[in-house]
Amino acid sequence: MSLPEPASGKRSRPASTFIRLASLLHKDVLLLLRDRAGLSMMFLMPMLLAFIMTYLQNSTFNSINETGIAVAVLNLDADSLGATIERQIAAAGPFELHTEHQTREALIADVQRGAFMIGIVIPEQTTARLRRTVRSYVAAAFEADSLPPVEPPRIEVYIDPVSKPTFRSAVTGAIREQAARIESAFIARAIAAEVSLRFPVSIPNIQLGDNLVLFDERFALARGASVPNATQHNIPAWSIFAIFFIAISLSGNIIKERDEGSYARLRTMPFPQPLYSLSKVIVYQSVCLLQYASIILAGMYIFPFVGLPALAPAPVVPTLLMGASAAAAATGYGIGIGRIASTHQQAAIFAAISTVIMAAIGGVWIPVFIMPGPMRYLSALSPLNWGLEGFYDLFLRGSGVAGILPECALSVAFGLLCAAVAPRLFGEKDS
Amino acid sequence: MTVPAVGISNLCKTYKGSSRPALNNLSISIGQGEIYGLLGPNGAGKSTLIHILCGLRRADSGSACIFGLPVPERLAEVKPLIGLVPQDVALYPSLTVNENLRIFGGIYGMRRGELRRRIAGLLGRFGLEEQGDKPLHACSGGMKRCVNLIAGMLHGPRLLILDEPTVGIDVEARRLILDNLRSIRAEGCTIIYTSHYMEEAQALCTRVAFVNHGRIIAEGAPSELMQSSGAESLEDIYLSELRT
Repeated sequence: MSLPEPASGKRSRPASTFIRLASLLHKDVLLLLRDRAGLSMMFLMPMLLAFIMTYLQNSTFNSINETGIAVAVLNLDADSLGATIERQIAAAGPFELHTEHQTREALIADVQRGAFMIGIVIPEQTTARLRRTVRSYVAAAFEADSLPPVEPPRIEVYIDPVSKPTFRSAVTGAIREQAARIESAFIARAIAAEVSLRFPVSIPNIQLGDNLVLFDERFALARGASVPNATQHNIPAWSIFAIFFIAISLSGNIIKERDEGSYARLRTMPFPQPLYSLSKVIVYQSVCLLQYASIILAGMYIFPFVGLPALAPAPVVPTLLMGASAAAAATGYGIGIGRIASTHQQAAIFAAISTVIMAAIGGVWIPVFIMPGPMRYLSALSPLNWGLEGFYDLFLRGSGVAGILPECALSVAFGLLCAAVAPRLFGEKDS
Repeated sequence: MTVPAVGISNLCKTYKGSSRPALNNLSISIGQGEIYGLLGPNGAGKSTLIHILCGLRRADSGSACIFGLPVPERLAEVKPLIGLVPQDVALYPSLTVNENLRIFGGIYGMRRGELRRRIAGLLGRFGLEEQGDKPLHACSGGMKRCVNLIAGMLHGPRLLILDEPTVGIDVEARRLILDNLRSIRAEGCTIIYTSHYMEEAQALCTRVAFVNHGRIIAEGAPSELMQSSGAESLEDIYLSELRT
């Protein structure tokens, strides 16, 4: 058997470059397909994550609105205010009234151990004191006197220490709203009584409607955009999170090739070295897009079967464009880590933790608008925030291609920076 | 006058953080068609030299040419002419023997038909024609070494660089590899060969160089070296050179 001519430049350069790229792609696809456990995790875990988070958020929302928040009320007032508060809390949507407590201490103890989220104590003589307070205010107004010093009645509200501040403010806000209605009714009655007393006309009790000002609350949606729900919020957030987790697998793949020596062999072979990274970008970008598509399709067709709201799809072209841009950022990030990290463990830990940090900063878990000032600025630097904002533009704000172009451009630039520039800056690990 | 397959002149290389040079003014000339053995202890500089020839590392000073083409300046032209067989089995364990070879052949730019024929021929030569569909991780150590060698020979290199190709394999596989290296040489291929097995180098190489601390401490045909030193084997020369 004689030696063949060395495979060099006999055929046209584009043709041989295509053969080389096709072989690199073949290699990367086979390596991915042979790792069936890893591959199934890449698809199943993000879908499971999106499902669990949507389910939790949806059921939390439902439990507040449908099941109700357990509120213990100890009414020591034995008059109209206490009774009205009890009645209105029972009638209000999010609350479930419990009146079995006999003492303040028992109620506080139950709230403390978490049996009730809220405990309300209406002290003795509350109605009488409110009446006196209102009457003295109204009388002072008719006499044009300055306000007399009066101590308003106090309703004690006890809150489970485990409850989160946002929940606390939502619940106390609702209670204050109920209390304000009762106060208004008392004031109206006092005014009516004072007018009847002072003028030769008798006016019946002033009846205030439930709402003197109506709030017409609606989402500022673009035409054709869907009403937001738990699925619409969670699918974009967890899709971008899942896409970025590809960095662990990709960087691990690069380091494995380096450790096994095949990368050194490849570097001695006659092909343009950027083809090596290009092949990985193409293969892993495709995986990201498949992951993304599978989560979206699950949101559209599987979630409704388990009682979750269905995802209303955004237009295909901008959805694909945003997905591809986020995938470019993630694959570039994975290549950068793979080229800089010394060991598999180093890469896996760094990729996982940095993705979680970028997700936290980027608003995947906590909305950016409730973050403290400096964090909001930092958030704008997270590639997960760009992806998330892009997906929100598509799925919640009804934007088109033009609306997501800035996020797409930032994501692609980040990917290029990580893959091409970062290894030069931080030093590529030797094969 | 034919161009030497490898011409190295005053090559120096010191790694960052090391006070001792890995290569210290090393010069070698290897003629076309030779099997040249690089022998020496671990850390002598053999792998560094190989890496510089393949373009994996850069020398601090000196020059290296392969078939008259300077490295790394004309590396793109040199790469099709060389085949590296690394010390590690630098293949993909989860892929089959055929898949590994097809992928590396494809990366060399070989077309499908030509590649299929070449793989079949080389597998036959190593007695592996029935093993093509076997996953590499399921192959024996000797088989893996043979496939590692075949992957470096697929494109028909003019210079084959072997970094300890027979480490940890049985006698039969070693014999097979050495016989094939002789045949490849007979077909016109130049071979650079590093090993710790002195008897192997004695039987195979046309010339050998003992390398220590990045320098060549002795060089010549095995028979000439033994004759001039009065030693019975290369191993004796190796040990005495290392002691001095």
